[in-house]
Amino acid sequence: MAINRQKIIEDLSQIEVNGDENGIIEGYNVLVNQLPAKFWNTFADKLTHSVEPDLLEATEYLLYNAAHECGYHTGYGIITSEEWKAVVAPMIENVPEDILHGAYAVFTAWGWADSEIVELVPGQKMVVRAYNYYEADVVKYGRSKKMSAYMITGVSAAFMELAYAGEYDSAGKAVGTFVGKQVKGIECGDSYGEFVVTKATE
Amino acid sequence: MAVFKNNELILEHSFDRSTKRHYLNGQVSVLHCHHYSTLYTQLALDAQKTALLAESAEEAFYEYLAEYFDKHNLAAIATKIDIACQLYAAIGLGKMRVNYLGDDSGEVELLSSHVDSGWIKKWSTYDAPVNYIGAGYITAMFSAVLAEQRNAFQANETQSIVMGAETSIFNVVRR
Repeated sequence: MAINRQKIIEDLSQIEVNGDENGIIEGYNVLVNQLPAKFWNTFADKLTHSVEPDLLEATEYLLYNAAHECGYHTGYGIITSEEWKAVVAPMIENVPEDILHGAYAVFTAWGWADSEIVELVPGQKMVVRAYNYYEADVVKYGRSKKMSAYMITGVSAAFMELAYAGEYDSAGKAVGTFVGKQVKGIECGDSYGEFVVTKATE
Repeated sequence: MAVFKNNELILEHSFDRSTKRHYLNGQVSVLHCHHYSTLYTQLALDAQKTALLAESAEEAFYEYLAEYFDKHNLAAIATKIDIACQLYAAIGLGKMRVNYLGDDSGEVELLSSHVDSGWIKKWSTYDAPVNYIGAGYITAMFSAVLAEQRNAFQANETQSIVMGAETSIFNVVRR
C-alpha cells in the first residue's frame, strides 16, 4: 500500500477554515461548521439517557444515520477535493482500497478520530480501530455499558458505500447498502474503539 | 504605521499530534456538515427534544464565550457582543446582528444561517423554525455578555429563513 498515513495527517491537519462574509463555510460540496465537540456529545449523551428504554434503539439509529448521511456526502466531497488531489491522490495505487485507507487518514487529520482500517475484505467487510475519539469523552471516569461512537460507526458505513456501492449519488440512494456496528469502545473501558462494517441484509 | 483593529476576534487553532484533536480557543472542535447538523435537528424535532438541542448548544457555547471574555479581559457589553457575533460567523453558523440586548429582553437577527440554509439545501423550506442550535448560542451569548449564570434566558424564533423570510429573528426574554 502506498498510502503515507503520517504525511496525510501532517499535511491535512494544518488546514484552517473560517466563515465567509456571511458566516458560512462552503466546501467539500457541503456547508461546513466547526462546533465544539462538547455540543455534539452533550446532545447525544443526554438524549440517549433520557429516552424511554423501548425508544433507545431507534434513537441510537437516528444518531448513527445522521453520521451515515453526513459521511456519504462529505466523504465524497473530501475524496474529490483539491486538498485530496494534492496530497492523497498521488499515493493511490489500488482503487478503491487505497482511497479507503487515505480517507481514514483524512478522518484522523480532521480530528474526528485517530483511526485506521485493520481489516478489509473488498466489497464485503471492513474493521476500523479508533485509538482516540471525541465521542468517548462522555465518560470521564469508569466505564459505560453503552457505546457512544455513533459518528464513527455511521461514517464508516458511508465510506464503504463510497468505495463499493457504485457511483456517488447526490440523493444518497446508496446509503444503507452497508451497515456499521461498534463492537468496542474506549468509553466502555476498552483500550480502543472498534467498528465493523458489513453488507446490509435485504 | 501599524493599524490596530478593535474588537477583532482572536482564533487560536492547534492540532494535538498525540491525540489527533483540533482545538479552537482551547475547545476541542470538529468539522461537520449541514447533513449532520440538520439531521440532528430533525431528530430533535421528531423526538420532541428541541429544548435539549438548544440547551446543549447553550452549555457548549456559554463556556466558550465566558472563557474568551475572561481570558481577554473584555468588560464592555458592545465589545463582547461584537466578539460573539464574529465567533458565530467564524465557526460557520451564519451572520448575526444583535438588534438590542437588555437586562430582561433582547432581539437578535440572523442575516444568514447555516442551519436554515443547510435545511433548505437538504430538504427545501419548512413550515416551522428549525434553528435550535442558533437559539442555544443566543441564550449563551446573553448570559455570558451579562456575566450571568447559564440558563438565565430563553430565545424564541419568531421569523425564520427556513420558512421563507429574508432573515431569522429571535426574541430573547429572561426566564
